[in-house]
Amino acid sequence: MNINEIVVISGKGGTGKTTLTASLIPYLNDLIIADCDVDAPDLNILLDPKIRSTHKFVGLKKATIDKDRCIKCGLCAKHCKFSAISKDIILTSSKCEGCGVCEFVCPVDAISMVDAVVGELYESGTNFGDFVHARLIPGEETSGKLVAEVRKKAKALALLNNKKNIIVDGSPGIACNVISSLTGASQVIIVTESTFSGLHDLKRIHELTKKFNLKVQVVINKFDLSTHHSEMIEKYCSENNIVVGLKIPFTKKVVQSIVTKTIPSLGEKEFFEEIGFFNFINNLTK
Amino acid sequence: MKIAILSGKGGTGKTTVTSNFAVNINNSISLDTDVEEPNLHIFMDMKEAASEPVYTLYPIIDKELCNLCGKCGEFCNYNAIIPAKNQVVVFSESCHDCGGCKLVCPTGAITYKKREIGKIFKGRSKYDTELHYGILNIGEMSGVKIISQLKNHPNIDDKTVFIDSPPGTSCATVEAVEDVDYAIIVSEPTPFGVSDMKMVVEMLREMKIPFGIIINKAGLGDDEIYLYSEDENIEILGEIPFDKKIAELYADGKIFSDSLPEYQNFFTDIYNKIIEKRRLL
Repeated sequence: MNINEIVVISGKGGTGKTTLTASLIPYLNDLIIADCDVDAPDLNILLDPKIRSTHKFVGLKKATIDKDRCIKCGLCAKHCKFSAISKDIILTSSKCEGCGVCEFVCPVDAISMVDAVVGELYESGTNFGDFVHARLIPGEETSGKLVAEVRKKAKALALLNNKKNIIVDGSPGIACNVISSLTGASQVIIVTESTFSGLHDLKRIHELTKKFNLKVQVVINKFDLSTHHSEMIEKYCSENNIVVGLKIPFTKKVVQSIVTKTIPSLGEKEFFEEIGFFNFINNLTK
Repeated sequence: MKIAILSGKGGTGKTTVTSNFAVNINNSISLDTDVEEPNLHIFMDMKEAASEPVYTLYPIIDKELCNLCGKCGEFCNYNAIIPAKNQVVVFSESCHDCGGCKLVCPTGAITYKKREIGKIFKGRSKYDTELHYGILNIGEMSGVKIISQLKNHPNIDDKTVFIDSPPGTSCATVEAVEDVDYAIIVSEPTPFGVSDMKMVVEMLREMKIPFGIIINKAGLGDDEIYLYSEDENIEILGEIPFDKKIAELYADGKIFSDSLPEYQNFFTDIYNKIIEKRRLL
C-alpha cells in the first residue's frame, strides 16, 4: 500500500508550520500524526493527546569517567575532537558525541561508554487519529535519530492500521532534524512568510528538497503583511516551477484560537473557507 | 562579555533583538550562529565580507595497506565506515570526524581528507559594527563545527559580543550558548512560545547560565508567559509590543529602532541592566 506522507517544513522558524499542520489534521481522513520538531514540540498543545505509551529514547552511548581510576594523563582530553573533556579531565556530557575514542585511548580503563537517555517518545490517541510525538531532553544530542524514530513509529502504525495518510510537523532549519523528517516524504509543504528573511530561507530549504527530488508546494503565511515580499516569493516560485498552494492573510483570530488551544481551522472555519483552505486540502489527498 | 539571544521556538524575534542591540551598543560585535538559516547579515546590511571555509575530515582508505580486518567498522558508532568483502566503504556525510578509525587501524591504512561543510563571513555592517556569521552548506547534517569556529575568534574576548543563536535546544544551540555570561530569551505570549521557552529555561539552568526574557509581540496572545515567569522567578527585561510598524520594518529587513528612535533607549537600558546584574553576581 502506498502511504501518502505529507511533511510540513519551513526553513525559517515561526512561519506557521504547526498552525498549518494542526489546521489540516481534522480534515484528513485515515490519518497518523507525527510531530518531528522534537526540541520544540507544540502540536500536542492543540491536539490534547491521551498518551498511551511512553518510551525512553536512548541515543548513542556517552562517556563516563571513573575518577578513582583516572590518573589524569590527559590522553582523553587530547584526543576528544568535540571538546567534551577539559584539560583537568572534567566531562561535559552534552558535548559528548559518543564516538568512544576516549575509552579507547585511556591507559587505565577509567572511561566507559554507557547508555544515555536523551528523550522520550510517546504514542497517543487523539480525536483525529493516532499521534506519535517526542521530547528531546533540552541540550541533548542525536535529535536527528529521535526524529527518525518518530517517523518510523508513525509509518509502522500506518501500516498496522491500514492508514493512508501520515502528516508530519517538521522542525526549522536545514540540517539533520529536517533531513531526517524528509526521508520517506511523498510530498512537502514549505510554509514561508512574506518577509525578506522568509524568502531568503525559503530558497535554502527549497535547495535541500531538490537534493531529495521531492514534490514541493509553498504556503505563504501572513502574505498581506508585506504584499511586496509576497510577490517576490510568488515570482521565485513561478521561476522554479513550485506551486503556491495557499496564501493566508494575517488575522488575530488564528492567534486567539491558539491561545484557547483550539485548532484554528475548527475554531475559525469561516476564515479558512474564505481563503480556499478546503481546496488546498483536497489537492493533498488526490 | 558574551550575551546569547535565544528562543526555543523559531520566529519569535531573536534576530530582531540581536540586530537592535548590535546597533545601539557601541563597539559591540555580533555573531550569527544560526548557520542553517542565517539572517542577521540581512538586517545589518553587511558590506564586503571576507569569507573562510569550514572543513570537516573524513577517512580515506589506502587499499594497499588495508587488510580488511574490519576494526574500523566495528569502532565507528556512526556507520560512516563499513568494511565489505573486498573493500571498506566510507559514507563521508555520516562521519563525525572523531578520529577513531585511524586510531584502531592496525596497518596504518587510514588518513583523513578535508571536506568543506560551510563558510564563515567576517566584515562590517552598514552601522559600522563588526559582524561574523556562518552558513552551512545545503545537505550537511550539522553546523556545530561552524558555530565553534565562529566563536573561536581571538579578538572577541574583551568586547561585548551578541550571539544570535539557533532555534531549538539541541546540540547547535548548546554550542552557541555554552560559554556566554548571560542569555536573553526572546519569547512571545502564545502557548507555543511559552512551551518552547520552558525547554530553553531547563537547558540554561542545567548549563548554569543566568538569563532574563524579552517578550516580543506583547499584547498579541495571553498572559500565561507572565504567570510562568513570575512562578519561576524569571526577570522580564522588557517588552516589545505587537505593532504593525515593527512587523513591516522587519519584513523589509530593517532594524526597527533605527527607524523608530523611541526604542533606542529600550535596548541600551536592558544592556545596562544586564551589566549591573553581572556586576552583582
